[in-house]
Amino acid sequence: MTILARYVPSAREQGFLDQVQNARYNREIITGIKKFLSGDVPDDMKSFYSRSELDALAALEDSDRDVQKRMPVKITRHYFEQARNSLPMQVLIKASPKETVDLDGAEDPGKQMDYSPVEGLIHKYELGLIYVASTCSAHCRFCYREELIAKKEVTRPDGTVAPKGLAQIGELIPYIREHNRLVAENGGRHPETGREKLREILMSGGDPMVLGNRNIAAWLAALAEAGIESIRIGTKELAFFPDRFDDAFLDMLDRFHETYPETNLRIMVHFNHPDEFLKKAANGTYIENENGSLQWLDNTRRAVRRLRQRNWINVDNQAPIIKGINNDPDALRIMQRELKRNGVENHYFFCGRDIVGHKAFNVPIEEAWAILNESQKGLSGVEAHARLSITHYKGKTEVAAVTNEPIPGLPGAENGVLIFKLLRSAADAPDRCKVTIVGRNPEAIWFSGYVDRVLFDEAELYSMYGIGLKGLDRAA
Amino acid sequence: MTFIVTENCIRCKYTDCVEVCPVDCFYEGPNFLVIHPDECIDCADCEPACPANAIVSDSDLAPDQMQFAKLNAELAALWDNIALKKDPLPDAASWDGQPGKLEYLER
Repeated sequence: MTILARYVPSAREQGFLDQVQNARYNREIITGIKKFLSGDVPDDMKSFYSRSELDALAALEDSDRDVQKRMPVKITRHYFEQARNSLPMQVLIKASPKETVDLDGAEDPGKQMDYSPVEGLIHKYELGLIYVASTCSAHCRFCYREELIAKKEVTRPDGTVAPKGLAQIGELIPYIREHNRLVAENGGRHPETGREKLREILMSGGDPMVLGNRNIAAWLAALAEAGIESIRIGTKELAFFPDRFDDAFLDMLDRFHETYPETNLRIMVHFNHPDEFLKKAANGTYIENENGSLQWLDNTRRAVRRLRQRNWINVDNQAPIIKGINNDPDALRIMQRELKRNGVENHYFFCGRDIVGHKAFNVPIEEAWAILNESQKGLSGVEAHARLSITHYKGKTEVAAVTNEPIPGLPGAENGVLIFKLLRSAADAPDRCKVTIVGRNPEAIWFSGYVDRVLFDEAELYSMYGIGLKGLDRAA
Repeated sequence: MTFIVTENCIRCKYTDCVEVCPVDCFYEGPNFLVIHPDECIDCADCEPACPANAIVSDSDLAPDQMQFAKLNAELAALWDNIALKKDPLPDAASWDGQPGKLEYLER
């Protein structure tokens, strides 16, 4: 077992931390199908699962297809109240036997463990991702961190097998300082890995917003002290429990800003569907304001407004496009428009990852692109900033375009092509914006769906695995 | 819902749970710890951390431990929050697993 270095806060840091107050929150969380089966839930939740749905889930219990072993069931009161009038939200939050029909997929999609130099840190780009919590207020069924949330064991590059652990301040901060020291001494690049300075840390999990204010504050201050310029908090709490963004939390943020005025905060929120934040009339339609814009749930809007009142905080939304939840251009159009109007930038939409059980959730890549493209028709330029991203082992990749027309004279392009653009290589920057072009495959839900039709591979998304171009394969 | 500290914590009070709790929802009495049921977020991290196996989900509470659901709620409102691990009680090892410890609960 590793003996963790004791982290000693600086005087400035301690002065900030001494002012932070924790508050109490009652999310009224329900965990586990058992509660719904036994009726041990509030009266208005008893019909959230039908009898036949419960019977089907109970029949799978303790089998290979046990849905709760894949991902425990968990819901907050707030989410339930919106979800009972929203089929897409029910698909997001309710367990379904469909999830375990096909358990094909990867336990560690994106091979994150390859990029983990210390426990709980994924070091890619100039950005590091840290796991600071192993749970969320509620659980999305399609979660791609299911191995962390469900505490499954994963195989590490050195061959050992253990559950993913959380980052510890005492271990992470010395790593950041040492990395950045070596980078500075070596003229801006790490002498061995070639990576740049770690400028930005994404606090993730799980959801950092399940932590108390003191815990969050300890992370923010330690990261700022270590020279991190921007801190991201990846959270779905605005959808699960917006009241978490309360006076005590905002007061903590304000004191953090007073103490570290040069550190920027980026709240990366996760809305999948406008039903998660818009008011609905009894007939199921959204309620319009006088000018035609739509009315938000009061507490969600209040939380967003208060974050955006602070000009050193950015709020960005990113979400996967998931079957039955938001593979709907109209819903995505409304969501992008309303988020932007309220100061939330539309950052990325993602193709679902190849997690275990992904076939129940993933939309084919070309279809996801078409849905997003359709949703952005009728949006103004600033509302349509979001791109469709798919995460390659090599780095974050955009699905830049899908054509319907054949390219004359190019074998494999008879049905049109798909263009991937490597946005960032995980290791270093030189490959930025190189592209890979593949012949279309409307069924493909991951990169593997194109291995037999690679037409051009400047980004080396396929050649790195020894997969050649279609034409060259034929020649060989 | 919540996890619940049950009888076998009494006179042991190892406090390993406190260290792993992401939301600091443990409260400390003289010889027992409790979980605040409204603050617990059901992450299940404390359950395996307890050397005395005294923490269970309220769905898995044994019939003879049912009263601990109420006790946790009641005492969490009275006692002080504990967020840092400390030494267990001196005779923790000899009390671990002893039956009938409820009578020794100090408030």
